[in-house]
Amino acid sequence: METVWSAKAWATVWQYRATFLNGLLNTLQSAVVGLLIAMAIGFALGLMATGSVKGLRMFARAYVEFFQNTPLILQVCFLYYALAYSGVKITVVTVGFISLGLYHGAYVAEVVRAGIQSIPLGQFDAARAQGFEYTDTMRYIILPQTAKIILPPMINQVVALIKNTSCLYIIGGADLIATTYNFVTGESTGGAYGPAYLVGGVLFFCVCYPLSMIAGRWERRLKERDAVKPDKADAKEATA
Amino acid sequence: MIELKNVHKKFGHLEVLKGIDLTVTKGEKLVIIGPSGSGKSTLIRCMNGLEEVTSGEVYIDGKKMTHKTRAALNRQYSSMVFQQFNLYPHLTVLENLTLAPIKLKKVKKEEADALAMENLQRVGLVQKAHVYPTTLSGGQQQRIAIARSLTMKNPVIYFDEPTSALDPEMVQEVLDIMIGLSHDDVTMVVVTHEMGFAREVADRVVFCDEGRILEEGTPEHFFVNPENERTRAFLSKILR
Repeated sequence: METVWSAKAWATVWQYRATFLNGLLNTLQSAVVGLLIAMAIGFALGLMATGSVKGLRMFARAYVEFFQNTPLILQVCFLYYALAYSGVKITVVTVGFISLGLYHGAYVAEVVRAGIQSIPLGQFDAARAQGFEYTDTMRYIILPQTAKIILPPMINQVVALIKNTSCLYIIGGADLIATTYNFVTGESTGGAYGPAYLVGGVLFFCVCYPLSMIAGRWERRLKERDAVKPDKADAKEATA
Repeated sequence: MIELKNVHKKFGHLEVLKGIDLTVTKGEKLVIIGPSGSGKSTLIRCMNGLEEVTSGEVYIDGKKMTHKTRAALNRQYSSMVFQQFNLYPHLTVLENLTLAPIKLKKVKKEEADALAMENLQRVGLVQKAHVYPTTLSGGQQQRIAIARSLTMKNPVIYFDEPTSALDPEMVQEVLDIMIGLSHDDVTMVVVTHEMGFAREVADRVVFCDEGRILEEGTPEHFFVNPENERTRAFLSKILR
């Protein structure tokens, strides 16, 4: 307990500051690559989920349910050990990228799906009546309107993804949590629990908080804008 | 120009269209009237493939409307004006008009802009070219929607209850523009409750109820001496 105030412990942490920064860097690297994969998967699944092909809709649903209803840490372990035992050479870092991408892909898919479904059906009608094919309808008319709406939840996903890099510690990753853990249990550096975890926490906070702030601000701005606008209820006539 | 042969449309178990045969000649102004739920909106939406027919055929200029041909046929032959306007809220008024001509008809931007301004002039809203649609009144939005249809330069324009979502004081400004259009050689198919408009503009009026065409004829025939009992009942309710 007293280590939190122990000057010696703080000195040790300071001495190894590069280790922490390196851990943060690894965390950010995993987050960025994981995010790119998650975005690609998420947009593809989100489009499938809102599309007209039943098989693809079912696939998207199954994917989302599977990845949202099993723990990430289990997925990480499974991917790592299953691949390792089946003889596939795969680095811890790559497993990190893929598992974060697969897992968050499911969440991004839900964000994209909800975003697309929030666009009034009249927009699809107008595009079809003008002769736009599906791809152009999405590209020029639906997705540009979706983008604004899904930005805040998307940033929240990025924050969650950054924090979830901590799961990679279980397979011996070099992320910030793993680094911190190795530091406090290390032979030469061990014992400085308080300061080390504090520093790790502060580093996470410094990255995540500004993102959350941006998301919150953007959301408030959207709400204000909607409040000013005359209501544009989508009172579409039922069928006739 | 447009030909419907024994068109049936079901939504689940609900049969909304029960065998429609209808031919619209080039340049004709056809008005479709009928009570709510009579299938008239569904009927007009079958013409440009926004609803896929359950059985029967729709032809435009002799070409069959299917899920596959819809985009190309709409691009070439028709535009639609909707009850809820369905302007693209993320684009300015001018961009709303020029998006489809530029992307689908490969019209040069300057050319599309010039044509769009000409049509904005026609609906009296040149000064609104660079604002966003949500800042405009319903009547103005619908006039923009008509200008958007005109900018496609297609031979057919469908109007699906174009004044039903408008405040009473804005109905006339939209009707005036539609009456102006009726002097062009464009083919107009209009679903409406505006009997004054039907009387003034229609070459032919069609009365729809419960998914069938019960009576058709000139406006004089309809408003002076309708034959069908249900037509009479409907007109007596609507013409007070």
